[in-house]
Amino acid sequence: MKSASTVATEPAIDEQNALRAQQWSFLARVLSHAPDAQMLDALGQLEGDETALGQAYEVLARTARDSDAKDVEQEFFELFVGVGRGELLPYASFYLTGFLNERPLADLRRDLALMGVEREAGRYEPEDHIASFSEIMAGLAQGTFDAAPLGCGAAGEAGFYARHLQPWVTQFFDDLAVSPSANFYRAVAEIGRTFTDIETRAFELARKEVGGAVAPAGPA
Amino acid sequence: MPKEVVRLGVVGSSYPPTNRWAARVLRPVAAMADLPQIAQGTPMSERDGIETVYMGDHALVLHSNETGHYIDNLQARQPSIWVAVDDGVVRVITVDPYEGEALASDPERIVEAVPLPPQLAARMEAFITAHHVEQVFHKRKRVPATSAEDPRAPRILQADEKWVNTRGRSGRGPGGRG
Repeated sequence: MKSASTVATEPAIDEQNALRAQQWSFLARVLSHAPDAQMLDALGQLEGDETALGQAYEVLARTARDSDAKDVEQEFFELFVGVGRGELLPYASFYLTGFLNERPLADLRRDLALMGVEREAGRYEPEDHIASFSEIMAGLAQGTFDAAPLGCGAAGEAGFYARHLQPWVTQFFDDLAVSPSANFYRAVAEIGRTFTDIETRAFELARKEVGGAVAPAGPA
Repeated sequence: MPKEVVRLGVVGSSYPPTNRWAARVLRPVAAMADLPQIAQGTPMSERDGIETVYMGDHALVLHSNETGHYIDNLQARQPSIWVAVDDGVVRVITVDPYEGEALASDPERIVEAVPLPPQLAARMEAFITAHHVEQVFHKRKRVPATSAEDPRAPRILQADEKWVNTRGRSGRGPGGRG
């Protein structure tokens, strides 16, 4: 029975990780640039179940159906680009220290160098942008990236998340939800908030179960 | 920026050299608010070998942003005019004591502080009354980041803190109003 259940859960974990990667990729996509009309159409057809995350997707689908691609683009501009600065500064360094390009970014770059991950040519946002974090988390969930070489208790996906994202990501999504210009992105913030909440608790749980060793996977 | 030009006559004197190798050096000794009707270089008097010469007249410019310096000058025990001379020709006249000290740092030129005539002091007083703006000196100090002068930017920029275009191409305010 025991061995059978282990065999049965292995593909389940892979499937879960693939779904987590999808979630993170979705966040990376909408937080790096505004969705176009085609993507808004696709989002409008999403259906959610009765869970908190499902409800959040339901709200997103409704908002996507009601909004125009041009308005969403303007909203993205107001939130993240702006004149001088956007309404939000979605950088780990800013949330943790109050200033951009501070030590959290240096720490992240050191860890990324250990993992062998680097910024693509032609992308100008610093690595501690929430979208690039989401992309890294997607890569970690898929297994494209490997956080095992990180030391000092940050080894593995859970360690990377706990060190670099957990201290500020909740606050960021809360801020995104209450930003004056946010409409479509309020729904995104709700998804991000719920999803990262699940991730945080799942990583905690996995760490407790494994007893501080590298968590094999964080279920979502 | 308001300014006022005053012309002053400069009187210089030279002492007999103390040894056979030295030459006479003409140094400014006085400034006159009333210009005499004599040519530049005219000898004015000679007594005990001390020659007094009229060195000509030169413009003194009062600048409104230097009134604080003029107040310092007038409050000194002996208010002065700084006269800078190159090769016996008056180049600069100033009543700003700090500019005067700066001129004096050049060893190549002769700079003398001569007494300020009372008429000029009266004009300076009038100029100061008209144009002086008191500037308070703020000593900047470190403040804790939690205080009211928090240097950190707000996490969420509110709508009223944004840069907005209040005048469009039509010259009207936002939304066609104003």
